Amino acid sequence: MIADLTETIVKILFIFSINVGFYAPILGWVERKQSALMQDRVGANRANIFNFKIIGLFHPIADAVKVLTKEDFIPEGADKFFHTLAPFLSLTPAIVTFAVIPFGGAYELWGHPVKLVIADLNVGMLFIFAFASLSTYGVVLGGWSSNNNWSLLGGLRASAQMLSYEVAMGLTLIGVFMVYGSLRLTDIGMIQENFFRWGIFMQPLGFVLFFTCAIAENKRAPFDQPEAESELVAGYFTEYSSMKFVMFWMGEFLEIVTISGIVTTLFFGAWHLPFVTDQMLVSFFAGAGPNGAALLAMLVNVVVFFAKVSFFIWLMMTIRWTLPRFRYDQVMRLGWKMLLPLALINIFITGIVLLV
Amino acid sequence: MTDNKAFQAWVGTLPADKLKPKKVRKNIELSLWERVYLIEVLRGLAITSRHFFGNLVGFVVPPKGKKRKIPTVYYPEEKAVMPPAYRGRPTLVANADGTERCVACGLCEKICPAFAISIVGDERQDGSRYPGSYTLDLSRCVFCGYCEEVCPKEAIVMSEEYEGLCTTRRGDMLYTKEQLLKPVDQLQKRIDYVRRIYAKCNY
Amino acid sequence: MQLLMFYLLGFGAVISALLLVTNKRPVAAAMSLITVMLCLAGLYVLLDAHLIAALQIIVYAGAIMVLFLFVIMLLNIEEKSGRLSNRKIALQFVGILVVGATLIAVAGLIKISPAQVTDGFGTTEAVGKMLFTDFLLPFEIASILLLAAIVGAVILAKRRIDD
Repeated sequence: MIADLTETIVKILFIFSINVGFYAPILGWVERKQSALMQDRVGANRANIFNFKIIGLFHPIADAVKVLTKEDFIPEGADKFFHTLAPFLSLTPAIVTFAVIPFGGAYELWGHPVKLVIADLNVGMLFIFAFASLSTYGVVLGGWSSNNNWSLLGGLRASAQMLSYEVAMGLTLIGVFMVYGSLRLTDIGMIQENFFRWGIFMQPLGFVLFFTCAIAENKRAPFDQPEAESELVAGYFTEYSSMKFVMFWMGEFLEIVTISGIVTTLFFGAWHLPFVTDQMLVSFFAGAGPNGAALLAMLVNVVVFFAKVSFFIWLMMTIRWTLPRFRYDQVMRLGWKMLLPLALINIFITGIVLLV
Repeated sequence: MTDNKAFQAWVGTLPADKLKPKKVRKNIELSLWERVYLIEVLRGLAITSRHFFGNLVGFVVPPKGKKRKIPTVYYPEEKAVMPPAYRGRPTLVANADGTERCVACGLCEKICPAFAISIVGDERQDGSRYPGSYTLDLSRCVFCGYCEEVCPKEAIVMSEEYEGLCTTRRGDMLYTKEQLLKPVDQLQKRIDYVRRIYAKCNY
Repeated sequence: MQLLMFYLLGFGAVISALLLVTNKRPVAAAMSLITVMLCLAGLYVLLDAHLIAALQIIVYAGAIMVLFLFVIMLLNIEEKSGRLSNRKIALQFVGILVVGATLIAVAGLIKISPAQVTDGFGTTEAVGKMLFTDFLLPFEIASILLLAAIVGAVILAKRRIDD
């Protein structure tokens, strides 16, 4: 009982520190630096401590100090309660969702079975969906409660867009579930021990559709209609400043991490290296004793998982800085007239293949 | 005229396809290939990631003695070298012996659209004219370069200075003759340039 | 622990339901309805019905309520001012008491022996199997009903665009 509790607490702390302590601040820097390199610029490199610049790595700290010392402003006529609630509603789902994503396999440490997932839910993927759909409220309420036309338009666009792409996303994943026969993400990870059963080989169309929908759910370019800065100032968070703005911003970045985690788990072999089974890893480290071998294998798996996650974060950033924004009717047309039928076709083909 | 010939010779060396006007696709109809947006997306991603990885090499640790691929100038540490066509702070040309070339004809004062220049002429013992005082109000100057164009003695030219031109006190922006004077060898490039462009266009 | 959770969620549901009917601002009322949905989902989890809980959140809290909010924001419904008379409030209160008492009495009459939770109860597999075997006919009828509703909605929307 005590062991279980400590295990869970350690896992929660680990994920929390990786997400909030590492990814959220570093992604702001990555975004600026990567976009700069893609456009032949230098990017942020001026923040320094005692003249040490370290390619601009102090900028997240400088940003944090700047933003926390700003005035927390609530516009006149705004709904104070919902205006304050909205950033929390936007950030919480992004953090909570990572609870069901496995970042490693199952191991035996000192006779105690350890599964590297915080909550191994039977309906894991649906849990992610549930919280993804709840994250709409942060955006919609933020847009509505600001008493600002730009914000309201951003909120309206966000609600319509996220609702539309949720449908296509759900239908896309049905194909994945048909292949794996489970909603439990650890099961899906286990199945992908075999390289040729990775999701990308079994559901190539599903991957493309899911990735597109996920970016649209994330509200980043080319689907950043809700915050289109050339049209709506900053969209739904126009009237936010200080800590509340940071919460929206962190929510967006943590959503990127979560989406990368889901894509890795569903389509790119979760914590597995290609052609390397868990058994092989443990026997490779057999010299370190049973516990040491398990620990080392665990370490390798976690590193592999987060390396894959980082790759997808890079890919999403690249897409964000490559493609121009869609027009709003194009967003809707793509969602309802392209992705939805393609998702249905994907289910159909998957069903036929599974039957034959 | 000689320049024109040189230009013609240069054109002659170009390959034929470079001379054809570039075709601009004005039709809105996309081909099927472009309509399947995904492939075009992948092409775009290839281009941007090529830039990304190209710049990543030697970004964290710049290679020794190699020129950076990124054209950004790190300003306070590095200074951009301005081309002779750059119009910086106007300066009076000083001859090798330190005397000014200016004869206080007042043409620059007359042409200046911002009324930034005011000259008080004076005469030496031998009868040659010189400006007793030459004041240039830099807070009014618009850096148009009319003064150097109109000057018959090549006595005022735009230098390539672009730093330290702003202060918080207007009095500091009134440049006197002594502040404006600059030795001729520092300005020779600009003088040549001015001679070339205005000689070709106007006379 | 389970009982505590039940009471917490139950009270949460009842209080937010009360807020829903008494709140004059439409958006606040919609948000309390969402809270009701979330509390209900929590109650489903307590009953070991994880799938239903997830679907409750996805469909009701996630999709339908977003549409509600969307419509409220689009229409910009004004807040109704004015108060109900005391007599009306008293009448409503009595009405609620009578209906509630009747319901409790009826519920007491029906004897339900709490069924034992079987292994794998409430999982996606179990619910799916049940839907496609024992409850196939109601399931299909419901699908046809929904299909008809979708077609109807499309036709209604289409006609307005053509005009």
